[in-house]
Amino acid sequence: MLYKNSEMMKKLDEFLPEIQKPARYIGGETGSVMKDKSEVDVRFAFCFPDTYEIGMSHLGMKILYGLKNKVPNYWCERVFMPLPDMEEQMRKRNIPLYALESLDPINEFDFIGFTIQYELCYTTILEMLDLGGVPVLASDRKELTPIVVGGGPCVCNAEPLCDFFDIFVIGEGEEVNLELMALMEQCKKDNSTKDEFLREAAKIEGIYVPSFYDVDYNEDGTVKTITAKNGAPKTVKKRVIRDFDKVYAPENFVVPFCDIVHNRAVVEVLRGCIRGCRFCQAGFIYRPFREKGKDTIISQTKCLCENTGYDEVSLSSLSTSDFKDIEGLLSGLTEYTSKNGINLSLPSLRIDRFSEEVFQKITDVRKSGLTFAPEAGTQRLRDVINKNITEQNVLDGVRIAFEGGYTAVKLYFMLGLPTETDDDIRGIYDLAKSVVEQFYANHDRKKGKSPSVSVSLSTFIPKPFTPFEFEPQLGEEEIKRRQKLLMDYATDRKITFSRSKYDVSLLEAVLARGDRRVGKAVYLAWKKGCVLDGWDEYFNFEKWKEAFAECGLDMGFYANRRRGYDETAPWSHMNYLVSREFFINENKKAHEGIPTQNCREKCANCGVSSQIGGEICRAIG
Amino acid sequence: MPSVNTRVFFSKLDRAKYISHLDLSGVMQRAIKRAKLPVWYTEGFNPRLYIQFMLPLSLGQESLREAADFRLLEEIPHSEVTDRLNAALPEDIRVIETTVPVHKNTDVAAAEYEITADMDLKKFREFTEQEQILTEKKTKKGITQVDLKQHLLFVEISDRITLRLPAGNEFNINPTLVLDAFKTQTGESISHLKIMRTKILLENGKEFT
Repeated sequence: MLYKNSEMMKKLDEFLPEIQKPARYIGGETGSVMKDKSEVDVRFAFCFPDTYEIGMSHLGMKILYGLKNKVPNYWCERVFMPLPDMEEQMRKRNIPLYALESLDPINEFDFIGFTIQYELCYTTILEMLDLGGVPVLASDRKELTPIVVGGGPCVCNAEPLCDFFDIFVIGEGEEVNLELMALMEQCKKDNSTKDEFLREAAKIEGIYVPSFYDVDYNEDGTVKTITAKNGAPKTVKKRVIRDFDKVYAPENFVVPFCDIVHNRAVVEVLRGCIRGCRFCQAGFIYRPFREKGKDTIISQTKCLCENTGYDEVSLSSLSTSDFKDIEGLLSGLTEYTSKNGINLSLPSLRIDRFSEEVFQKITDVRKSGLTFAPEAGTQRLRDVINKNITEQNVLDGVRIAFEGGYTAVKLYFMLGLPTETDDDIRGIYDLAKSVVEQFYANHDRKKGKSPSVSVSLSTFIPKPFTPFEFEPQLGEEEIKRRQKLLMDYATDRKITFSRSKYDVSLLEAVLARGDRRVGKAVYLAWKKGCVLDGWDEYFNFEKWKEAFAECGLDMGFYANRRRGYDETAPWSHMNYLVSREFFINENKKAHEGIPTQNCREKCANCGVSSQIGGEICRAIG
Repeated sequence: MPSVNTRVFFSKLDRAKYISHLDLSGVMQRAIKRAKLPVWYTEGFNPRLYIQFMLPLSLGQESLREAADFRLLEEIPHSEVTDRLNAALPEDIRVIETTVPVHKNTDVAAAEYEITADMDLKKFREFTEQEQILTEKKTKKGITQVDLKQHLLFVEISDRITLRLPAGNEFNINPTLVLDAFKTQTGESISHLKIMRTKILLENGKEFT
């Protein structure tokens, strides 16, 4: 019989009517998977360290949820971070953090897994463990279960999280998650110890057991050596799905009762990116580029729309317009979507691939907003960052949009990129201004309408596994001077600006390239009450500063220092297939302003091909 | 296109009581799509699946009998509509029957509720037996004074409370207003509260169909 935790439901009924949007705390949505607990051998609490609305919009969670639940004796459930009104009640009433399917507390699970998408969720992870009655320090958890496991892009440098996690999954999770669960199934049968489990887990490709590595430091604070022990591999190689067309894709989603950030069907069309923009971590850690077949995508779209009842589907990838036969794909898709009143949205379009044909397709049913990301204001700087688009590409793209009746365009830029000059900053405004002029150049424009161009200005954050991992982030004064320079230069009221907060960017930079010692600061910040740091209303930078000061760590050391090519990176025991030599070479080319061709034009010898065999890379061309 | 007005009566229990009235519309629309029922869409620039709900139910309250209308573009046996929707709906929302609408939305005049709670029922009986029960009610126009006594259309107290109260677009009394007035006036506490709407009624006391 399907499991039902009536006792917990009764406890929740006591106060849920007083809670904001209670539908996010009760589960029971269509598509959620219920099982008979007596027939389940391994239980996985899949935690997203942010709110329900954010976590439920995440495709990766849906993939792994469906994949694990397909195995009859495994049960994967969802867990999100409750907002303060809910958490207060839970703590007051001694209700531990529970999973939404069974309503069982997460400390009863075999695995507590976190997908770590964003550095500013680290304290939320600790809060969720603590709320679930799970000791936050891995060393305080002696039993075989629960094993706390992390995955997602941030674990490419998991060092600031090593104190809290038992294992990390490096790379793509579709295969290795099942291997881990199978290992747990066996270990539970054999009554193995936690240490025995970890030793076996470390043998699985893509599994990183942080406690099996010792880190030594130089006097200047940089990492000296990282030494593997207990039979763990010297470097942990990321997992890659070789046959991407055949990889598991969810046939159904858990369809929420309430509105969430992206309340729609999502179909992944490709993984990896051919581009190699030098600031972009995703562009390197998800290599190699792999596409699904057109027919696979179309049939997955149909299946998902029919099973969920959604009237909107979005194609997901790092750069959907790089799909080789994008026009063929869109024709095939719109044939289905327009007949069924389904809105097709393409969130990741490159402006240089924004043709009238593509435009026609996305406006067929309903108009979705248009956002383009030139990232830098001048051609010189775009060459430095290897964002290979020209001003003409941008202007052509917005012209098509304006001619198609759009009046609002959003442009993304970064401030503080390596080698950036004041001219580059003024170039941001000049480019936005040219976009406005494109609107008036269209003689068929609707009279009486004026364009609105919003410029979103984020601060450059150097990330591991990018050619810019060696770069310093600019200090507070300089960032603020540059922001002001742009504001003072901008006069056209049709262009509006939004910029990221300096403190947030600094913390993100520190955590992204931090070493193991930073874990102490994360712990202290959490102890001081930091949680949901990604939310403006909860972010408290003063507490973070205190935390770093108390453990004698300097944020500037992690964020604002140029790192030498010969320095041992805290993440140097991770192998993401792209070679360090390539990153060094790309960094040098950046400073010379030399762009690199994309994977489709010419192989740049990043190292992926030689590590996984050339056939996947050859298929890109 | 010819279309047939269709009315479904459904229950909304357990976890589903936390689905807000606004969100319920999305839940039902997606269920109709999943059930592949051929239904009428509004015309215009953004066609929307047409669905209308009779009487909003407060968040946290359950109901044995809610109603929603949509238009079918093909003739489908009502029992089949019921079955297909039930296969597509979350388990805590169940369609009880599919019918052809008899009454209009505006014909709704009252609703009956069944209330169970840990509370002093004797005191509650005394409370309802007063000559006058004045309390404040929030409306769109601001706070007005109402005499609840005049609006207690039916009260029965056994191990539970049955209340019949005015309902509809024109004037609506939520059972929580009565319970809150009881708490304020007597200083009594109420816990383990369960409110279940059991009937939607017409002016003459007959069931809305």
